[in-house]
Amino acid sequence: MSREVILGDIREIMADVFDMDVDDVVVTPDTTADDIEEWDSLSHIRLIVAVERRFKVKFTNAEIERLRRVGDLVALVEAKQPA
Amino acid sequence: MTAPHAASLDLTLAGRPSARALAGIALAAWPEHEKFLLRSFGQRSPAVLDASETVSAAILKLIAGEEARFGEDYRWTCDRLREEEIFFHREGRYRLSTFAEAHAEVYSNDVYMGRYMRGLLLTQALWFNHAATTEMFLARVLGAMEGPFDYLEVGPGHGLMTAFAAASPLCRSLEAWDVSATSLEETRAALKKLGAAKPVALVRTDILRAEPAQRRFDLVVISEVLEHLEAPGEALRFLRSALSERGRIFVNVPINSPSPDHLALFSSREDVVALVEGAGYRIDRIELYATQGRPVETALAQKISVSAAVVGRPE
Ligand SMILES: C[S@@+](CC[C@H](N)C(=O)[O-])C[C@H]1O[C@@H](n2cnc3c(N)ncnc32)[C@H](O)[C@@H]1O
Repeated sequence: MSREVILGDIREIMADVFDMDVDDVVVTPDTTADDIEEWDSLSHIRLIVAVERRFKVKFTNAEIERLRRVGDLVALVEAKQPA
Repeated sequence: MTAPHAASLDLTLAGRPSARALAGIALAAWPEHEKFLLRSFGQRSPAVLDASETVSAAILKLIAGEEARFGEDYRWTCDRLREEEIFFHREGRYRLSTFAEAHAEVYSNDVYMGRYMRGLLLTQALWFNHAATTEMFLARVLGAMEGPFDYLEVGPGHGLMTAFAAASPLCRSLEAWDVSATSLEETRAALKKLGAAKPVALVRTDILRAEPAQRRFDLVVISEVLEHLEAPGEALRFLRSALSERGRIFVNVPINSPSPDHLALFSSREDVVALVEGAGYRIDRIELYATQGRPVETALAQKISVSAAVVGRPE
């Protein structure tokens, strides 16, 4: 799965988790929690768990804590995909 | 990015020096927590901000001389809660379900318990849902008592609510029951530091094994306790028999609120209504407050923690 596809899916997940219209979710790899009002510590966990479900991967607690940039999330999903 | 937030926290808490000081204590240990606190306080009505100030002033008295340690333990507690939240959102249930498990993991670990209890104390003012529930307790529970009353609280913990009850001019007598000797010691010390207005009889009792009450109470409070029990309905049914005919019970129980020692999961307003009504009460009032002042319906749908506070009377 390419990074673009992963990013696209994550954007859809974000719209769902943040309760936003998908067209209003503007994400680039550099987007962070500071750029999206709805992305706070509460929605962060829901976002990560939804990403886990969608891509059938599992993050460690330390990874969940650290992940703040969409690009890092995409890269980690990619790294955890079965070869 | 810090400066504008700091300015806004000063603005949001202008005229509420104790709440501002308490926020500062948390931020000293955890600077990244500012966005959270700003939203938490920014969502509060003037009445809830006033209650927050009252609670914060009391908390500052309890932590005097140890502020830094309490700030650290608040951060540590939030970290533990985040771990539970991850589990909860993955699995849709609380991690532990029996008292034996909670005892082995949490209650029997003095160091863990100490940090956890110190952390939870600060949440009473720093978390929107806790402050809003306290405002309800002060204004629409204690403030609504119409005549002299005898007060019973189960699981007083930090002792703040017991102390507020003691300060009510209508309050005639107070008892506080708790299963844990350590908790009772915390309550005793807190009441002393707060200069509780009346003596409080502290009794060590497991609410699930209590002897039939020797007397009746006009206001029974059980706040953030039922979710720790294997049989919450039984505890409420027992308390029904300790309530005077015209008495009121105040039940505060969290919905979708994972915590290391939470066993009983309530997922909706209906769950809470069924719990209280099923134990033989009629509900006079129910107020729901979501974490961070989120709209309650959204929070329930997203399984974000909501405090449910109920005033009931014997059916
Ligand atoms: C989280 S604290 C609640 C403190 C305070 N009431 C509040 O609202 O924040 C839970 C308290 O309930 C007590 N508790 C737990 N199980 C109990 C039981 N079976 N019988 C009596 N008290 C119990 C604990 O020892 C602790 O003091």
